[in-house]
Amino acid sequence: MSRRYDSRTTIFSPEGRLYQVEYAQEAISLAGTAIGILAKDGVVLACEKKFTSKLLDDDGSAEKLYALNDNMIAAVAGMTADASILVNHARYAAQKYLKTYNEQMPCEMLIKRVCDIKQGYTQHGGLRPFGVSFLYAGYDDKYQFQLFTSNPSGNYSGWRATSIGANNSAAQTLLKKDYKDDLSLEEACQLAVKVLLKTMDSQNLNGEKLEFATLSLNKAESAPESTGNEATRGPATDEVTHRIWREQEIDELIKKLGVLDEKKEEE
Amino acid sequence: MADCSFGITGKDFVLLASDQSAGRSIIKMKSDENKIRTLSPGLALAFGGEPGEFTSLGKRRLMGGTSNELAKRGGESDMIKRDTNNFVDYVERNLRLYQIRNNTELLPAPASAFIRKELANSIRSRSPYAVNLLLGGYDKVHSEAHLYSIDLYGTKAILPYAAQGLGIYVALSTMDKYWYPDITRDEAVELLKKCVAEVKLRLAYQFTFNAIVIDKEGVKNLPL
Amino acid sequence: MSDPFSINGGAAVAMVGKDCIAIACDTRLGSQSLGLANNFEKVFQMGKTTFLGLTGLATDVITLREDFRLKNNLYKLREEREMEPKTLANLVSTSLYERRFGPYFVSPIVAGLGKGGQPFICGFDLIGCIDFAKDFIVSGTASDQLYGTCESLYEPNLEPEDLFETISQALLNAVDRDALSGWGAVVYVVTKEKVVRRVLRTRQD
Repeated sequence: MSRRYDSRTTIFSPEGRLYQVEYAQEAISLAGTAIGILAKDGVVLACEKKFTSKLLDDDGSAEKLYALNDNMIAAVAGMTADASILVNHARYAAQKYLKTYNEQMPCEMLIKRVCDIKQGYTQHGGLRPFGVSFLYAGYDDKYQFQLFTSNPSGNYSGWRATSIGANNSAAQTLLKKDYKDDLSLEEACQLAVKVLLKTMDSQNLNGEKLEFATLSLNKAESAPESTGNEATRGPATDEVTHRIWREQEIDELIKKLGVLDEKKEEE
Repeated sequence: MADCSFGITGKDFVLLASDQSAGRSIIKMKSDENKIRTLSPGLALAFGGEPGEFTSLGKRRLMGGTSNELAKRGGESDMIKRDTNNFVDYVERNLRLYQIRNNTELLPAPASAFIRKELANSIRSRSPYAVNLLLGGYDKVHSEAHLYSIDLYGTKAILPYAAQGLGIYVALSTMDKYWYPDITRDEAVELLKKCVAEVKLRLAYQFTFNAIVIDKEGVKNLPL
Repeated sequence: MSDPFSINGGAAVAMVGKDCIAIACDTRLGSQSLGLANNFEKVFQMGKTTFLGLTGLATDVITLREDFRLKNNLYKLREEREMEPKTLANLVSTSLYERRFGPYFVSPIVAGLGKGGQPFICGFDLIGCIDFAKDFIVSGTASDQLYGTCESLYEPNLEPEDLFETISQALLNAVDRDALSGWGAVVYVVTKEKVVRRVLRTRQD
C-alpha cells in the first residue's frame, strides 16, 4: 500500500501522511543521542559519538556540534552530510543578517530560516527531505538563552530540556524527572552526563564517546575606553561565548561527577 | 539647497526638527510640507536632499526612461520630492514588513544599518536616490536614545546632536556651545529654539519648522 | 570635491617592530571642511592579532568593513581557525579587484602577526594591488605627511613601547598638517602575548 505514496515526497498518503518525511524522522531516531538543557546562566548541548575507532584520524574538531554564529551553536542528529549543507546555509544567513543590520541575528529567526529550507524539501518533487534534526542553543538580547529543536518536516519548537536521536523518549523522561527551573550551567552539564549515561548503550562513558558544548555569558573584558563609533565598530560586543569541549575536559567532568562510581555501586 | 533639519539627543529622548519648505533652487513652492516621517513607535526620520546632486542625478534617472514616461513624470520639482519621499516610503514599508514577519520591531541601531545599506547600494546603481536624513530613535531594549546622520552616499555617523542642509552653517556652533551629555528635555527644546532663531537671523531663506520628540512613550509632535 | 578619497578625510598607518606591529588611525569623519563626527574609527580587529585599516570614502569604509567581517567570520566558522594576515591581504586584494571597473574608493592597510608571530604589514590601492613593506605603510588624506614623519621617525626593531611612541608621534604630527584628518586617534600595539589599544587625545580643531 505505502509503496505508491512514498516514492515521491510530494504525495500525501490516503491517511494524510508524508511517508518520506516520516522515514527521515525514522533515520534520525537511529542516530546518536543529543540532548540539550537550558540553564539560568547558559545552555549545554551534549551528544553521543556513535563511531569511535582507534584508526580514525581525529583532527580535534567536533563531529556533530557546529557553531552557527557567535551567539549560536547546534547539535546534529541524523545524516551529517545533509547537516553540513544546512549549517552552511545557516552560517551564511547569520552573517548576511549581521551585514545588513549590524546586529546578531535573533535565534528564532535563524532557526526559521533553516526550517524554511527543510520544509521546501517536503514539498518539491523528486528530492528527499533533509535527514537531520537539530538542537539549537542560542542567546539574544530579547529572549536571553534559548533552546530549540527542528526536525526534517521543517517544524521547530522551543524547550527547556529536550533530546533528539536514539532513545530520545527515554532521555526525555529522565530529563522531565530531573529538570529543575533554576539549574545552573554546571548542574545542567552534570544532568546531561547522567542522562546520556543511562540512555547510551555502551557501559563505560568517557570523553571519546561524548561531545560537549556550552553557551554562556562572559563578563565583558573591561569596556574599551573610547566611545567608538557604532557605525564602524559593529554591534556592542556581546559577551556570549560558546565552547566546544575537548575530550580531556569531558573526561574531567565525568570524573568530577563520579557518575561512573555510582553506576558501579548500583551494579 | 532649501533644506534644514536638526536632531538633538538627551539621555532618554531625541528631538528632530525639519523645515517645511518644498521648491526648487531659490523658489519656494510650499511652506507646509511635512519632512519628518514616523517609521515605527520608537523611530522617526527627518529627510531632505541636495539640490545640485538632485537635479543632475534626477536628470540621469529621467534619461533612463522613455520620452513618454518623461512627459508623464511632470515637473522636476515633483520629481525631486518623489525621489526623497519614495525612498522614505520604501524604508517605512520595509521596516513594517520586518515587524510583521518577525513580530518584533527593528531597534534604531539595526534600522540605521539597514537604511545606510540601502543608500550605499543606491549610490552605485544606475539611478541613485539623493536623500540625506537624520534618524532618531528610542531603543526600548537598552533604554537609550540614538541619533544617526546618514547622507546620500550612505555615510553614517552616530551623533549626540546634528544638523543637515543649510542649518549646518549657522546652528552647529550653537549646538556645540549649549549641548551637554545630560541635557534635559526642556533645555534641549530651548536649544532647538535657539537654532531655529539662528536660522531666522542668519539665513536669507525663510523657513518654517515642525518638530517631534521621540522617547519611551513614542513619537509626539513638539510645538515650537 | 570630485575626488572621492578626500570628501570625508582620515588617515591610517601601520609599522613593524621587533616581534610586534602597530597600527593606528585618526577618528575624524568629515564632509569636506566640515567635521561631522570625532568617533569614526578606521582600524578593525579581524582576528586575535590581525588588523585591517580602511581610509577613503566613508561609505565604502563602512561597507567594506562589513563585507570583510562577513568573509572573515565565515572563514573562521568553516576553517575553525583564524585568518593569517597574508590570507587577509589576498582576500582584500581579490575582493577589491572584483570591482575593477567600479571600485570602492578606499586605501586599505593590513597589519598582523602571522604564524609563529611573524610581523606582517601591507597596503593596497583601490583596485587591490598589494604593496608589501618591511617598515611602514601609510594611507589616507594625510599620507604625504605620514611618509615624511614615518621616514624621519621610524627605525627598525623597536620594542612595543617604543613602537607605540613612534607610530603615535608619526600619526599625530602628520594629521596636524592635514585639514581633513585628526579629531582623535586610536593606536593598537600587537605582540604575540597581547593587544594594547590606546585612545589618543589630540588637538580638537
